[in-house]
Amino acid sequence: MNDLAAATAAPLAGATSSAKIKVRDVHFYYNGYQALKGINMDIPEKQVTAIIGPSGCGKSTLLRIFNRIYAIYPKLEAKGSIELDGENILDPNYSMNRLRTKVGMVFQKPVPFPMTIFENVAYGIRHHEKMSRADLEIRVEQALRSAALWEEVKDKLKQSALGLSGGQQQRLCIARGIALRPEVLLLDEPTSALDPIATGRIEQLVEELKHEYTIVIVTHNMQQAARCSDRTAFMYLGELIEFDNTEKIFTKPGKKQTEDYITGRFG
Amino acid sequence: MQAISAEPLARDTEHRSRADARHDLLFRFLLRFCALLVLGTLLGAALSTLWGGREVLFKDGFHFLFSSDWNPVEDQYGALAPIVGTLVTSLIALVLAVPVAFGVALFLTEIAPNWARGPVSTAIELLAGIPSIIYGMWGLFVFVPFMASIEPWLNDTLGNVPVIGALFQGPPLGLGLLTAGIVLAVMILPFISSVMREVFKTVPARLKESSYALGSTTWEVVWDIVLPYTRSAVIGGIFLGLGRALGETMAVTFVLGNSYNITSSLLMPGTSISSSIANEFNEAVGLHRSALIALGFLLFVVTFIVLLIARLMLRQLARREGR
Repeated sequence: MNDLAAATAAPLAGATSSAKIKVRDVHFYYNGYQALKGINMDIPEKQVTAIIGPSGCGKSTLLRIFNRIYAIYPKLEAKGSIELDGENILDPNYSMNRLRTKVGMVFQKPVPFPMTIFENVAYGIRHHEKMSRADLEIRVEQALRSAALWEEVKDKLKQSALGLSGGQQQRLCIARGIALRPEVLLLDEPTSALDPIATGRIEQLVEELKHEYTIVIVTHNMQQAARCSDRTAFMYLGELIEFDNTEKIFTKPGKKQTEDYITGRFG
Repeated sequence: MQAISAEPLARDTEHRSRADARHDLLFRFLLRFCALLVLGTLLGAALSTLWGGREVLFKDGFHFLFSSDWNPVEDQYGALAPIVGTLVTSLIALVLAVPVAFGVALFLTEIAPNWARGPVSTAIELLAGIPSIIYGMWGLFVFVPFMASIEPWLNDTLGNVPVIGALFQGPPLGLGLLTAGIVLAVMILPFISSVMREVFKTVPARLKESSYALGSTTWEVVWDIVLPYTRSAVIGGIFLGLGRALGETMAVTFVLGNSYNITSSLLMPGTSISSSIANEFNEAVGLHRSALIALGFLLFVVTFIVLLIARLMLRQLARREGR
């Protein structure tokens, strides 16, 4: 296990920016079943980190620890430490409210809330900040612009969000997440339910957002990881096999398992 | 060889498709018949109560609706007291039962550990299986004395609050509108809570996760996400309970006190449409009987209006949401 820690932590020496999230010896248990086995990784600030691996490898599980969303279910348990800006978010004293304003999340399927488009974006802001209606409108517009959705919805902000297309709904969810001005954005297979054109727009958006946010994206789609990430982590059976610059992972991977996976020999 | 085998096959398919069309037609007819049966029953019941009450309705007209004078000895009949009693007791029942049902349903779907969900749900459903006569007996022998013992306290506390104070002043009889309302609340609680529980379960986990991921508390997730998502079904469940409360007879008759005086106090005895009918139908003849049947018709009307209001409310909510 220590070897693995050394192997995965070392490549960061060559990385260009400092670590935003430091994952140290993280184990995760579903009702006693061990889903993550001693994960160590440093997620660089304002870059896109992709996590790939076959189904059930624990990549979504890992992502769901970063904002402790798993904690809403009983009998799930994470051990180890995850430092966000030097503070351990797994510490029970770390405020959940604070964590979730710092770390936003977008889920696999677009899940607009059953309210208007405006309210969908304003919803999160209202919970954390008191502001005038005018300020709120500005914030909502900014978020929608950042998510490249403003032009499409500016005339129907008062309509239900459920009337948008799947791709628009997913960008609305991204707008909702960035409306809180988080520092980290977690994307859990954000395009798996979208068509290729909508997927392209989301990927383009990720490219733009990484200048302001630290982005972690879990994906099934290896081309997607290759296209839009700076660093890629390959996970298999609850372990982090390899974590390196994306280019290196996809051109000359250091481990046999990684090579087998990206060349399609399994997974 | 092929030609020989192909022909019977073709005929078979044709035969089959004709049979299918016939069955479909039959099935559709059957379904339509079932739906019409319900409508017919409803219409029949409404018309026959209207017909049964025609004497008093022709004689008194709107006076029957708005008079609170109910005196069988002098053949004077006014339905106001039973109508008010029905509405007030049902309203009390709703006010008390809805928040509790909401809490129970949320506890069972969001918070309770898995092992507790089954037993608690079953216990609540058993509550729905208790016959109303049992509620009536329990109300009269157990709950009425209890209410009588706390009513002086209600007089001294809530009775002194401005505006609503008048509702809680009166002699500690135990019987009365408040007592009936509380018994009704217990009776409709299981209906409302099991409907709520079922619909809360249908809220997709990812919707709730999305809200939690924005830093919402459990209460905010429930109030902003779960409730709006399930709103129409929740309102449906509430009105199912209300429908039951409006028509409930035995339990209410036992604890309501059977008085035709309309007072401002909830602690005073009153009457309701169904309990008036249950109390007096045996000895009613002539115009008295007609008045009681007309009361039954009014219960139809009241229930119909309540359901209509529910519909309008839902439409209003949907419009505000921007659908």
